[in-house]
Order: sequence, then structure tokens, then C-alpha cells
Amino acid sequence: MKNHWLTFFGGTVKVKVQGGGLERFINALIRSNMSVWNVKRQGSDTITFMMRLDDISVLRKVKRSFPCKLSFLRGEGAPFLLKRSMKNAGFMLGILLFFVIITILSNIVWGIEIKGATPQTEHSIRKQLDRMGVQVGKSQFFMKDVESIQRELSNSLDNITWVGVVLKGTTYHFQVVEKNAPEKVVETGFQNLIASKKATIVKMFVEEGQTMVSVHDNVDKGQVLVSGYIGKDKHAKLVASKGEVWGQTWYKSSVEIPLESEFHVLTGKEKIKHTIKLWNWEFPIWGFGDNKMKEHVEDKVKHPVKFLKWTLPISYNKTTIREEETGKRTYTKTDALREGKELARNSLKAQLDKDAKIIDEKVLHEKVENGKVVLSLYFQVVENIAIGQPIIQGD
Amino acid sequence: MAKNIAQRVRTWMTKKMDLPEDVIMDLPRITMIGQIHIYIENHRGLLGFSDREVRLLLKQGQLLIKGDSFVIKTILPEEIMLEGKIGEVLYLDE
Repeated sequence: MKNHWLTFFGGTVKVKVQGGGLERFINALIRSNMSVWNVKRQGSDTITFMMRLDDISVLRKVKRSFPCKLSFLRGEGAPFLLKRSMKNAGFMLGILLFFVIITILSNIVWGIEIKGATPQTEHSIRKQLDRMGVQVGKSQFFMKDVESIQRELSNSLDNITWVGVVLKGTTYHFQVVEKNAPEKVVETGFQNLIASKKATIVKMFVEEGQTMVSVHDNVDKGQVLVSGYIGKDKHAKLVASKGEVWGQTWYKSSVEIPLESEFHVLTGKEKIKHTIKLWNWEFPIWGFGDNKMKEHVEDKVKHPVKFLKWTLPISYNKTTIREEETGKRTYTKTDALREGKELARNSLKAQLDKDAKIIDEKVLHEKVENGKVVLSLYFQVVENIAIGQPIIQGD
Repeated sequence: MAKNIAQRVRTWMTKKMDLPEDVIMDLPRITMIGQIHIYIENHRGLLGFSDREVRLLLKQGQLLIKGDSFVIKTILPEEIMLEGKIGEVLYLDE
């Protein structure tokens, strides 16, 4: 028997022959190297048989010398299957379209949920999101990633302290912490107020408790400023002392500023490349051409394609290549001094409370060493030095 | 006369050399599987074919197969495979 798999791909035809002397016709066919199978007699002068589609030309050639009538009944195999499936192309197209639509819909934002915000804040967040292009019904491909959205939101809205952005499936969840929520009053027990550091008292404001020191006093660290023990003798009682004691304190800091330094800046020239990545194979779809920039930084944003809840190994990537330039900065000594002071002041401010004030600064010492300016600075600061110290009651 | 001598040499050779007769003497080799299949090698062409009777030309004489609902499953220049219900296989000498 023939291998029917091969004939399946080539295609087979069922042929009907009418006429006399059909046995001789078949002999002639097989002698010209045609394969014929399933020969059946259908009547006194009719037979049917199967043959390969490729042998039709041989059949025609042989038929010329025989006075019989040929007709092709039916085709089988791959070429005919293909032809028939073309007839049902609408059906195949429908199946394909279904998957395409599901994929498209899986990559669209279907919901934006905002939690922890007052209606007012929520409204402003939604307006800001609209401006950023984060809207229901928009494709996720053209949106920024979650981190950028988060950064942009917290930068543009003043009345929120923090916003967390999570993309779950097709919904963005925003968790908001508002700034102007009333602060919780901390309940304190009986306490003294003591000095947190050595200082000269400048100003006092005591709400409760017995003041133990006065303005212009020098106090040491740990000294009791306001006592929680009030009254005399049998009227004595304990209170939670409360208040602010402003003292003048001193800070010494030293900074080093190199006279020459290198830094990187972006020139503003950029090139955007769009690529599609299939498994590990990445090919560009827009933004061809070599990168001619010498120094550059790359910023790659990846948008994976999702299908329902699964992430497909296909992703759309957008790479932004920005040109970078290395600059050299040279300070003169006076510039370096100014910069050093600024730096020291800023780092001190970061250390101190918000309401502390720097009232004076002095350069104690300065020298140039190994291409660096080494500065010693002295600061005078007015700050609240009172901290609570709980009174532990004996029995 | 010459043909006859050649025939006799072949018969003698198959006997002496223990070779299969169908190879040397162009005899048909017929394989039957029950009544349903018959497989004939070394035929010389189809003489008649209907669903009750198949007549094949051999080198010497003819082969007549009688039966019911015959279908030629495969046919090649020297081989034929027949399917159906086989009743008789007859050699016709002419």
C-alpha cells in the first residue's frame, strides 16, 4: 500500500470513467507509472478509482487514446481541505477576531479606584489622572509605568502626603494618605520637661507644670526645665507638664569641597525606539538607525501584553536614549567657601526640627588640601530643647 | 524449440539451486488472507474486472478469481491487491 500521509498532502481525486475496455485503460495507466487505488466497478461500463492530484496530466495523456469519458467526483487531502476552509473563512476569521479582541480588551484600563481620600481630594486626583492620560477605556501601552504615575501624582497634588499606585489586572488602585488629616493628640502621662542638649534659654512658653529655669540661664543636657510636680506640701500633685523651651544651641560641622569636580548633564537630545519583544527575540518597529550619541543613558519602559489574567511573553518596549554630557566644574577658593557654607547649612537644616532657626554662622577654620577646601563651621541655632521625661511614681 | 530449451534449463536450475520458482520462472505468487484479501505478484495485466470476477493475464495462461464485491485496493504493473469476498481462484490454460 502507498503511504497515504504523503498523498494526503499532495491531494487525491476520485475519478469516474465511462466507456468500454476499461481494463485496458487501467493497464495503460499503471504502465505509465501512475498509482491507482480503490478501483470499483459501478456498472457494466463504469468504474471509479482514486488517484493522486499530481498525476492528472498523466491521466489526460493516457486518456487520449481511449474512447472513454472522464469525470472527477471529489477531491480529498490538503489542497482541497484548504479550499473548503476558505469557503468558511468567516468562521476562522471570527475565532481569530475573538482572541484579538480579548487581548485588546485585556490591555485596557477598566477601572480606577481611589481609597482613603475625601471626595474633594478624589476629584482632584481624578482630574490630575485625566490630564496624565490615565483614564478608563485607554490602552495601558501608552501609559507611564506605575512608579512614574505615583511620582507625578504626589508631586502635582499638594494636599496628599503619599499615594500608592498598584495596577491589578485592568484596574488601577490608588491608596491615598491625606496631609491635612487632624494629628492625633498624644496622651502623655505625668512628666517633667528636660533639656535635650546644652543650651542658653532664650524664650519659654509653659502650658502646664512648674518652671524651674528662667530666660538667659545656661542649662545642661538632662536638666529639668519644667517640673511635673506642682503645689506645696499636702496640696502637691503630679501633672503632665507641657510647653516649649527655646534655647540657643551651638553646632560645629566640617565640610570638604573639591575644587574640581565632574558632573553629568543631559543635553536634551534624545531618540526614542519602539520595539516588540517575543520571548527573547526583540525587533524594532519604529525608530531605526544607529545611535550616534557618544555618551548616553537609556530609559526602558516595558509594557507586557496581557491575555485575561495571564501575561503573554510578548511585550512592547519603548526605549528613550538621552544624550549625556560630562561637564567639569572648577571653583575658585571663594566660590568653594560659599558652596561649603551652603552645604553645611543645608545638612544642618535637615538634621534640625522644622521650626528651629539658624541665627548665626562663623567660619572657624579653612584650608586648601589636596585640591579640596576643608571648612570648619560654627552655627548658632535657636530651637526647642524641651523633651518629655516621664515621672515614675513610687508607691 | 529454443524457448522450450530455456524453459527446461530454468526448471533444472530451480531444482538444483534451490531458488524460488516465482523469481526464476515468472510464475505468479499468490497470497491470500482468508477470503477477504488476495495479493497477486507477477501478473501481466488486467483482462477483466467486475465486482464478481477478475481476470488477470499471466505469463502463461490466465488467472480467474471469482467472488463478491471486488475492489482493487492497489494496482501496480506487476502486482495487484484485491479486496472482497473471494470464492474461487482458477487457472485457465490457453
